[in-house]
Amino acid sequence: MISLVRGWTIAIWPGVAELAAASFLFPGGGTHNRGSWQKRLAAVHEEGSMKKDLSKVRNIGISAHIDSGKTTLTERILFFTQRIHAIHEVRGKDGVGATMDSMDLERERGITIQSAATRCSWKDYAINIIDTPGHVDFTIEVERALRVLDGAVLILCSVGGVQSQSITVNRQMTRYKVPRIAFINKCDRTGANPERVVHQLRDKLGLNAVMVQMPIGLESDLEGMVDLVTMEAVYFDGDQGEELRREAIPAHLLDEAKAKREELLDAVSMFSDELMELVLEEGDIPEELIQDAIRKGTLSLELTPVMIGSAYKNKGIQLLLDAVAAYLPDPTDIENIALDLKEEEAEVKVSNNPADPLVALAFKLEDGRYGQLTYIRTYQGEIKKGDTIVNSRTGKKAKVGRLVRMHADEMEEIEEAGSGDIVALFGIDCASGDTFCAPELNWSMSSMHIPAPVISLAIKPVDNKAQINMSKALNRFTKEDPTFKTYVDHETSETIISGMGELHLEVYIERMKREYKADVEVGAPQVAYRETITQQADFDYTHKKQTGGSGQFGRVAGILEPVEEGEYEFVDQIVGGAIPREFIGSCDKGFRKSLEKGTLIGAPITGVRVTINDGAYHAVDSSDVAFQLAAIGAFRQGYGKAGAVIMEPIMKVAIEGPSEFQGAVMGSINQRRGVIIGTFEEGNYTVVEAEVPLAEMFGYSTTLRSLTQGKAEFTMEFSTYKQVPKGLADELVKAFNEQKKES
Amino acid sequence: MAYTELVQQNPLRVLNMSKGSQMGLVMARAGSGKTALLVQIALDAILRGKRVIHVSVGQGIDKTKAWYDDILQLILQDHSVDRPHELIDMVSRHRMIMTFLASSFSRARLEERLNDLVLQDIFRPNCLIVDGLDFASTDREALEDLKNLLEAMNLQAWFSATHHRQDPRVSPRGVPAPCHEVDDLFDTVILLDSQADATIELQIINNSGEPAVVGKELRLDPTTMMVKER
Repeated sequence: MISLVRGWTIAIWPGVAELAAASFLFPGGGTHNRGSWQKRLAAVHEEGSMKKDLSKVRNIGISAHIDSGKTTLTERILFFTQRIHAIHEVRGKDGVGATMDSMDLERERGITIQSAATRCSWKDYAINIIDTPGHVDFTIEVERALRVLDGAVLILCSVGGVQSQSITVNRQMTRYKVPRIAFINKCDRTGANPERVVHQLRDKLGLNAVMVQMPIGLESDLEGMVDLVTMEAVYFDGDQGEELRREAIPAHLLDEAKAKREELLDAVSMFSDELMELVLEEGDIPEELIQDAIRKGTLSLELTPVMIGSAYKNKGIQLLLDAVAAYLPDPTDIENIALDLKEEEAEVKVSNNPADPLVALAFKLEDGRYGQLTYIRTYQGEIKKGDTIVNSRTGKKAKVGRLVRMHADEMEEIEEAGSGDIVALFGIDCASGDTFCAPELNWSMSSMHIPAPVISLAIKPVDNKAQINMSKALNRFTKEDPTFKTYVDHETSETIISGMGELHLEVYIERMKREYKADVEVGAPQVAYRETITQQADFDYTHKKQTGGSGQFGRVAGILEPVEEGEYEFVDQIVGGAIPREFIGSCDKGFRKSLEKGTLIGAPITGVRVTINDGAYHAVDSSDVAFQLAAIGAFRQGYGKAGAVIMEPIMKVAIEGPSEFQGAVMGSINQRRGVIIGTFEEGNYTVVEAEVPLAEMFGYSTTLRSLTQGKAEFTMEFSTYKQVPKGLADELVKAFNEQKKES
Repeated sequence: MAYTELVQQNPLRVLNMSKGSQMGLVMARAGSGKTALLVQIALDAILRGKRVIHVSVGQGIDKTKAWYDDILQLILQDHSVDRPHELIDMVSRHRMIMTFLASSFSRARLEERLNDLVLQDIFRPNCLIVDGLDFASTDREALEDLKNLLEAMNLQAWFSATHHRQDPRVSPRGVPAPCHEVDDLFDTVILLDSQADATIELQIINNSGEPAVVGKELRLDPTTMMVKER
């Protein structure tokens, strides 16, 4: 089998697949009213001295299920931290939209696709907000964003509660060990029930969730909240809730508040002996002690403090910001690991020390009118204008030109940035996920291992203009996303794009139309099959062409054998000069060429070791070309005897939904040649995990929707390559041969 | 099935569990290798061509699957198999994992799930592993109910139960609490007993009415949790 590549997640769920599949018309002739940043360069150096103190820096993400109000909340945070001066609604009538959704496509759909980073200040804290996409389809971005943030706010809807998206996001956060606080939003909505959501956080997400606030009134009567740490009632006055009013807890809520505080203290005293003693002695408990304990619990991932509020009604935002400062980690609280490329990717801890050599991760690229803007997160060292930095992937050096701090759509020119910061660079050529180091280091923040694409489709521009724009777009996307690849098929002259799933490609086609006005015709998706061999076979082939003119001669003999790991190995066991040294490389080249297209269905061949152990040459007629051709002939000869088979990508699929549909879901997996790994049941909620060939997953979102009345969702990620069953392989071979005849 | 050698060499051959719907029980204190033993019993069944449903109460799919992967790797280390990937693939096709949160598990639900699988011809199990069922809160009636279900579906089943040191109750046959009052429902009972030298001995209290072969005492290797002959 081929080397297994794991960990890349592409996910699809019904609602969004529909969104992505639908075609969107570009409104108003494409007025980029806010697509790129504007000229308002705020050259403010307000934070100059503060950034050295890392304990006052928070790099946070805000994650949520679609429509939980993430963008609204972000907008409110920016308003309260005076980053923006007016509040626009996500789907507002003024057509301006919220500040964080920079892309037109996102604004139109009311969803957030690309993560933008923005900086704001709250009290004496500097908060970098990384606006993580809420859609699992864009998981590569979620994962990249999770790498650069230190803590997160998990937003939940007080009515919808923990939805499948929250489960996925939570799982990712657990995987990347991101401490989080929960914010139960929309408490002003009919049906709001924060208590129920807290129970779901415990049951469905397995979090030790504990409320640090209690609502005063709910639904349309939401007035404010009781802060269970300070035991005060908090109200939000003024047109936009900007004036905080703290009062005594209303008498009718006092008993409940006391009971809730007991619960809180019980949960958090586990993290502080001092607090535990005071609780047992029933003495007076200082607020700081409680806060410290909550912070400790949160950082250790063993506690999730729960805040409540309504972003739309401007209630609870300031307290949430206080909580971000109080409970979420600063950059030094988090251990980040880099890979030392000089030491075979040995793991090394980054120091966070500004005095050490620079290590920074480029996590996001944006195209603007001033060229490429690269968002970076620094992990140690400092970056200054004029510094020389090295891209550890390419080894290329670059000079830091303009350095800016991004505030949603405004930017601030800065001279330098310290460790643990998030800033942006201009005019640096790189791809997303690249690491920049000081010249003396060669570290990488992410593994160099990129999974190979599993699906491809042909695209054809409709006219010349589209052709030019398409090239621009493809150039950009391949830089942003290492799992998205493109090439031109020389036989058909078609442009092929390939990636990790159907939706992955659909999103890029959509973006091509939207952002680059490149209209393309799209072919049917093709699964990236491979060929491999299953048994050892020998070959002994002579390439001879000695009739008139300069002749060609070469003989190559040896064996082909399958290798479990790796794509191709070449072993030279020639002794006594049966093949002269200078032609060994020609043989290797010939074999590599043979691997490009297998003889079964023309798919690339992987998992082969070629050993050459004999041969012959001619003093005059042997040449580089002759031995390449001999090797190609030899490979073909051996390949025919080596039990060649077709391999197909297998996806790990997880389907989540109400238990009543479990039977139907499993049936649908079974029909798709899937193997069910297992099921997980909890109350009326079920997860089915299965391995299914990608070729069978086309259109599954539609099937699933009709099977489950739209109540189930699924995610999938590439798992491995497996042999295609005999009957199907025969069909593929037949189709390939017919196609060959036609062309 | 070309795995006869693996099957014949398996020390678990001393167990007399060839009939259809028998019930077996593995008892031990927490952390003494119950799951490891159950998974070895399941793998043995799979190698004999049976299909196994592994019901895990309280543990997730990934964790349960990891047990199989690990133990299968250990088997592959000790025995050379021609095409290990075919074996791994075969195991994954003959095994299905069902996990439940403790509160979500019931006979009714299990029956519904099994029927789903059988009626749609998705998976026809021969053997059921039930790991993590809380016997302290499962009464005799519920177990009899389960036994009836197993008989109706002609399923062999293996359960695990945790006993606690501080609970001295024991049945006349030597089966400790919390199973001391239901031990007659099981055809085979294996008690895992931690020894002073850290090995874990398998005491086969009942073996479908027949004595276990004498002189072939079994133990769990404390580092790998694999069953070995002493």
